[in-house]
Amino acid sequence: MIKIAVALAIGMALGLVYGWVIDPIQYTDITPNLLREDYQVDYILMVAEAYQQDFDAETAARRLAILGSESPASLTTSALEYANRNNFTPNEIQTLQSLLTAMQTYQPQGAGSQ
Amino acid sequence: MSRSLLHLFLALLTGLGLGLAYSWFLSPVEYVDAAPAILRSDFKDQYRIVIASSYLSTQDLARARARLELLGDADLIAELSAQAQRMLASGEPFNKAQPLARLATDLKQGYASAAFTPTPIPAFNTPQFEVTPTFVEQGGETTEEPTTTPFPTADFEQTPLAPIIAETSTPRPTFTPTSGPGAPFTLAGQETLCDPALQTSLMQFMFSDSRNRQSAGVEIIVTWNQGEDRFFTGFKPELGNGYADFVMQADTIYNIRIVTGGSFVPNVAAPICTDPNGTNYPGSLLLTFQQ
Repeated sequence: MIKIAVALAIGMALGLVYGWVIDPIQYTDITPNLLREDYQVDYILMVAEAYQQDFDAETAARRLAILGSESPASLTTSALEYANRNNFTPNEIQTLQSLLTAMQTYQPQGAGSQ
Repeated sequence: MSRSLLHLFLALLTGLGLGLAYSWFLSPVEYVDAAPAILRSDFKDQYRIVIASSYLSTQDLARARARLELLGDADLIAELSAQAQRMLASGEPFNKAQPLARLATDLKQGYASAAFTPTPIPAFNTPQFEVTPTFVEQGGETTEEPTTTPFPTADFEQTPLAPIIAETSTPRPTFTPTSGPGAPFTLAGQETLCDPALQTSLMQFMFSDSRNRQSAGVEIIVTWNQGEDRFFTGFKPELGNGYADFVMQADTIYNIRIVTGGSFVPNVAAPICTDPNGTNYPGSLLLTFQQ
């Protein structure tokens, strides 16, 4: 009986190693909030660069919304902190700062109406 | 002995199955640091739009290319063009798809084309008048006469000009007259293309500006007795920035209107070609427009 339990345990261990390490489930259709932090920050930087061109806060906020439930201003603040920690260029930091200012003052359409 | 070995083997297999079920279904590996290549396709589309919009601002082609490569597309240019066409086909306005087409064009030619910088148009104060009805009595009857009162105009302060330090005479470049971007396109050539291997009869367009550079973003409207189609050049950069095409039906007369620059070509139809066996089939047309 003990031998059978040991064999069962060994089989389970092998199964776990195979399923978690050797051939884990491959995700193919993930959402942007699962992106690595540097990719998320680069995405926010792109939104900021586009904002420098069109100054469309509504579009920028909508683009940031795909990164999760955090507010656009909060996402941009996190990106700005990451940029400061990781030696982004002054121009990139300035671009993110401009987006942050826009997002802090941005009011979604209809938010003020009762 | 062999029976107990069989039991051990079955226990091992059962354990393996349980382990796999747990690791694949009950508690699979959680992705938290994923790369853009495994984004869902609609998020990839959004990612591409943001890359292209950012590129319009920065003109940094190398960085745009590096960002696009993160998405793992086999052919960056084809994917951009296809998305731009999908957006137009789904009724999105041209200015939303244009950054994608522009980036595809620049990637194809290998350098950033002229920067798109919307120049703010200076606002001129046009005199405005406020119409105030006044009532005038004429022979017992009251008639209404409008009188106009001009709105007060704002005062502007002249900014002092910077003092001129030194005046040097610089020879001015000679002026070469060229057609502006709004100059009309005219039909410069019409060529019949007969290829029996082609399954469809295409109306192909090629637009060039006054300097013989292919023109992207030219809007074309093709109308016929049963409908109308509207499209732009530059959405198939692999065939040229000034290229666009349209599938013709046999025995249908088309009218072409070039919205950009304004031009009209009436009564265009698929040409009739003859294959070596003497069978007729509808051919294609190549219409070349020059600004």
